[in-house]
Amino acid sequence: MADTPIPLEVRDITKRFGDTEVLKGLSLKAHKGDVITLIGASGSGKSTFLRCMNLLEQPDEGDLIVHGEEIRFKQTRHGREPADWKQVVRMRAKLSMVFQSFNLWAHMTLLENVIEAPVHVLGKPKKEAIAHARQLLERVGLGEHADYYPAQMSGGQQQRGAIARALAMDPEVMLFDEPTSALDPELVGDVLKVMRDLAQEGRTMIVVTHEMAFARDVSSQVIYLHQGRVEEAGPPEEVLGNPRSERLKQFLAPKH
Amino acid sequence: MEALMTWLEAQLADNSIFTLQTLGYYGEGLVTTVQLVALSLIIGLVMAVPLAIGRGSKHRWISLPIFLYCYVFRGTPLLVQLYLIYYGVVFVEGIQETWLWVILEKPFVPALIAFTLNTAAYTTEIFRGAIKSTARGEIEAARAYGMSRGLMLRRIVLPSAFRRALPAYGNEVIFMLHASAIASVVTIMDLTGAARFVYARYYAPFDAFLFVAAIYLCLTFAILYLFRYLERRLLAHLKPASG
Repeated sequence: MADTPIPLEVRDITKRFGDTEVLKGLSLKAHKGDVITLIGASGSGKSTFLRCMNLLEQPDEGDLIVHGEEIRFKQTRHGREPADWKQVVRMRAKLSMVFQSFNLWAHMTLLENVIEAPVHVLGKPKKEAIAHARQLLERVGLGEHADYYPAQMSGGQQQRGAIARALAMDPEVMLFDEPTSALDPELVGDVLKVMRDLAQEGRTMIVVTHEMAFARDVSSQVIYLHQGRVEEAGPPEEVLGNPRSERLKQFLAPKH
Repeated sequence: MEALMTWLEAQLADNSIFTLQTLGYYGEGLVTTVQLVALSLIIGLVMAVPLAIGRGSKHRWISLPIFLYCYVFRGTPLLVQLYLIYYGVVFVEGIQETWLWVILEKPFVPALIAFTLNTAAYTTEIFRGAIKSTARGEIEAARAYGMSRGLMLRRIVLPSAFRRALPAYGNEVIFMLHASAIASVVTIMDLTGAARFVYARYYAPFDAFLFVAAIYLCLTFAILYLFRYLERRLLAHLKPASG
């Protein structure tokens, strides 16, 4: 095990938007099979942190190591940018992301959505990709919906479809950006169930969420962010079961 | 065929205006109109795709010339553009000695150039709007899944933008068909040219122009039907499920 590189490591990420520093030096190490949940109030920087991991946002400082490969950056007039976009493309293909608002491609059927990146980014043969996609859709309970367009499905179905799309990349790490926040309460359960199954089969996942039950039951590590800093981090039973800081206690207290 | 001709001749026997000869003019006019409009639309469409992409470029020296081109061609009447290209080229020093003159001398090519440049300008703006309104989330997903800019444009942005542009582009096609009527002012015998000829010959404006109006209506109907069909097929994804 010692020889296989760590799927994802980020070190001392900082990020500022204008004059506001939203991330003040965040680090994280995701070993194989880890499920890391990022929690925190809105504005704590958890989504930005996640988006820095696949460079949808450019971190101003800090290192990013994906599967043992360090991303190279260069300084330009506009700030720091990746030195080699081909490397970024390669690295993004190893990290697949599930978005809050699903972001399925609206002009493609669900099946086309799932095979799109494997075929056109990874260069997988189409036949193989379709067979794999059908399996994945079956797994997330959408076997019957392969030919539906996103607009013809409920939010929960779209999100499960988006998870199938993410799985089709055979990713090293799956990044979830508040995957249930845009869903009606009765649809949240199905999506969380799929995510629990993924965690159980040993997928490496980093999840930004407000679902405390999910964080408690599934994750191997919980990180509580406050104003761009790690306030508390550790196994869920410690962080959620026995919070030390006053802020986290308040954050976890039932809202009335 | 022969039976059809005799039948037609019998039908036209009492009619002094619509003889086989004048119908022949209309027929040739129809062919010319369709050629002119179809060619300019196809070339204009091919031009508009890269122009629309360049129009949204963040490099000023790419987007600004395209903006100016669109502005000029959308900001002046097509008739004026046609006059400038048809009558204007004569005054270009030495052009009459070059091979260009062979094609520019006849009115068809100048008209084709004017129509093409005009429709390309409008189509560029239609596509640019459609490209700009691509859902941010879909672009973000394409980036997050490792697509390069080119691949994202080819697989996500353009296919979705073309679909969204379809209704507006259908209007542009109909507009071009109708605008092509002005080709007759530079002596092209298109549909309207044929009607003008028949009108001048028989001094029967209503017969001549009502007949040609009916032909334009039929063509418009065909275009509407084609775009209705395309929209049904290509915009299916925007309709919510119907049970």
